[in-house]
Amino acid sequence: MKIQKNNHETNDIIKSDAAALTIGQKNFLRRQKLQKLYIFWSRILLFAAFVMLWQVSADLGWIDSFYFSSPITISKLFWHDVQDMSLLSHIGITLLESGVSFLLIILFSLLTATFFWFYPSLGKMFEPFLIVLNSLPKSALAPLIIVWLGTGPRTIILCGISVGIFGCILNLYQSFEQTDPERLKLIETLGGTKLQAFTKVVFPGNIPTFISLSKVNIGLALVGVIIGEFLAGRKGLGYLIIYGSQVFKLDMVILSIVILCVIAMGIYGLLNLLEKKISY
Amino acid sequence: MSKPHQDKPILRLDHVNFSYYSNLGEVKVLNDINFTVEKGAFAALVGPSGCGKSTILSLIAGLLKPVSGFITYYSDDFNAPRVGYMLQHDHLLEWRSVYQNITLGLEIQKKKNKENLELVDELLDKYHLSNVRKQKPSALSGGMRQRIALIRTLALRPDLLLLDEPFSALDYQTRLNVSKDVHDIIKSEQKTAILVTHDISEAISMADVIFVLTKPPCTIKDVLPIEFEANGVPREDMRKSSLFQEYFDQIWREMQDENTEK
Repeated sequence: MKIQKNNHETNDIIKSDAAALTIGQKNFLRRQKLQKLYIFWSRILLFAAFVMLWQVSADLGWIDSFYFSSPITISKLFWHDVQDMSLLSHIGITLLESGVSFLLIILFSLLTATFFWFYPSLGKMFEPFLIVLNSLPKSALAPLIIVWLGTGPRTIILCGISVGIFGCILNLYQSFEQTDPERLKLIETLGGTKLQAFTKVVFPGNIPTFISLSKVNIGLALVGVIIGEFLAGRKGLGYLIIYGSQVFKLDMVILSIVILCVIAMGIYGLLNLLEKKISY
Repeated sequence: MSKPHQDKPILRLDHVNFSYYSNLGEVKVLNDINFTVEKGAFAALVGPSGCGKSTILSLIAGLLKPVSGFITYYSDDFNAPRVGYMLQHDHLLEWRSVYQNITLGLEIQKKKNKENLELVDELLDKYHLSNVRKQKPSALSGGMRQRIALIRTLALRPDLLLLDEPFSALDYQTRLNVSKDVHDIIKSEQKTAILVTHDISEAISMADVIFVLTKPPCTIKDVLPIEFEANGVPREDMRKSSLFQEYFDQIWREMQDENTEK
């Protein structure tokens, strides 16, 4: 048995040279591309079909357009409200409140989870309380918050925070806790402190968790803010929905819901982009 | 290739005892461990799985404190010898490039100066890893990753290297290649090393001296100098030699005795 010293491992790195594509590879790539295009256009078509069916049903009286509105009515209303600036300010307020809630959730969760990681007995102490608070339907808190803080943006932001925060702290802390102990040992063997273990291993190792938590929590912040606006808003999409339903301006309600869909989609896309950039 | 021992100790363990405590009571892991490692030597600790071999390394590295006994480090100057530790898995951090992984230790110890970074470049060049320095570790093979982990340890200029089954996660073929690479690197850098392994042939092929350990509570059963060159067997051919087989049989027997006792 002869042990050869060579650098055979260097060859193991997959070289993706586009220059030498075989016919099979080309076919494979083409099929893959076609499949992607097919899915993409099917989605567009599905959406267009839904919108058209909605419009036609409303026009032909299959559905009562007083209750269900119609795409054209909504578009007109959108255009009208955009021009008198009222809609944009409502959207802006909701976005701002959600953004602030989201940032506060993330900031506070990060600080708390970090603190718990450094002092695990504190973490253990608080864990069951966090679990209870997390299982609580947070909308039950909203009336209480209104009594405490009155109506207005402070209440709405607190509602936005309350929905996501407990789960976010819990998840982040548990994920910090699950850092491979061998990696912590590595830092120890390299002479590192606990702070360095956090900054070099625990935190960077949990960035994927952090991003997926952000994805969940930006949605939850929006949920919380809409609940808050339902109950205590004078502005915002949640207020528009409640107000619209009370005065039977259902076009306004549905328009607000459509806008919420667009906002959710935009946020999702943005976070996916971020996730792709950071993933390793 | 192995240098003649200068008979200068770098490390001595005297009557070292160690226990773990659990719900079930005290588990005595190490029982009166005594050994000396000489400067420049490549020592191997061989013993059955779970016999506390790794605990010995953790004690030497100062990660654990012995219940009783002394661990003495010898040094030419007044500084304690620097101890480098190589773990079972490479634990390269996937968000850092190869180069950033290698300099992790320097970063932690705030020793990222010109001199040390030059050493890193030198090591990368010498062991043919310069071309992957910007890559992420996920793109590399297990053998390469383990060599990078070794360089991460060497970048801190350790006097004493502790190797805790560093090849056990590799497949057999890679293991033979990498263990030889690691052996050659350590010898050419003239480092003292202590290897922990349950693989008898790995220990014979790498070490100058083997300490055979018993089941827990672990004691040293035998100290076996491995001398291929002195017996006229070149290192390249050692695995084929009858001497290799003799060493293997002896250690095997000692570990078997141990298993049949009790």
